[in-house]
Amino acid sequence: MNQPEHELAKKLVQYLDYGVDHLEPGVREGLAAARRTALSHYREKPATALGLAWAGQAAARLTGHRHNSARLLIAATALVLATAGGVYWQSTRPANGLTDIDFYLLTDELPINAYLDKGFDSWLKRSSR
Amino acid sequence: MSDFLAQVERRAYKQALFAVRDDHAALDVVQDAMLKLTEKYSSRPPAELPLLFQRILQNTIRDHFRRQKVRSIWTMPVSSLLGGDPEGDADPLETLEVADDSKFSEPPAEQAARAQVLALIEKALERLPARQRQAFLLRYWEELDVTAAAKIMGCSEGSVKTHCSRASHALAVMLTKQGIKL
Repeated sequence: MNQPEHELAKKLVQYLDYGVDHLEPGVREGLAAARRTALSHYREKPATALGLAWAGQAAARLTGHRHNSARLLIAATALVLATAGGVYWQSTRPANGLTDIDFYLLTDELPINAYLDKGFDSWLKRSSR
Repeated sequence: MSDFLAQVERRAYKQALFAVRDDHAALDVVQDAMLKLTEKYSSRPPAELPLLFQRILQNTIRDHFRRQKVRSIWTMPVSSLLGGDPEGDADPLETLEVADDSKFSEPPAEQAARAQVLALIEKALERLPARQRQAFLLRYWEELDVTAAAKIMGCSEGSVKTHCSRASHALAVMLTKQGIKL
């Protein structure tokens, strides 16, 4: 920064300081009220902190723990339900057609429809060779 | 904390006033900044308070403009129907009248002259681009170093220097036009 700039800034600041020292009473009162409001918040804090700090922290810890437990429980339940659902679906889904045919062949209870199916007949011949 | 606030509140008010150009809004801005400081940073060491307060103040001024912008989006269609301000383009320095003597009971001539010059300086500051004004006030009025001012303004130190230089030049030009030689 060069000297003339600095000098100008210095003089301007002197005027600005003068203006601040001669603020209107209404503004000064407004600022004092704003300060009081801000400080009232500031003073309330330590009292609250002394009285309820431990209880608040404990409650927060407890509720936090509860939230975590609930989340864990929900996740575990979902996992169990999903596994059970999968097992149930596997056990009750319609049997594969080929498995059925194998079963019937082994027990000699092949339905008459199987012998009427040309494709099945040719497959039977091929496989018996 | 009380002493600190009492020490900075008037300059903070003026800074806000230069930016928002409204007494009530400036008071609101200062009160918001004070509340934020006391609520969130009351445990900080006193040495950190000036920088913190300045940062909060500048952010609060920025928030004010953001809110105003949102409000103007809704109110602009209505105001355009009602017609704009015919003197909106007028230069406030050209129409500025000498501050009346109500501030001082029977002021000496020197005090009146000083008040007049002060009013012109304040108007000139209001007319500066926001970043230039911010840099000028932080550096010279708040006496912060370039690094601190750059942190508050969220720019490089070089930008702060440039803004300060341009602000000083612009102020000198505006005041000279008004016939004021400091």
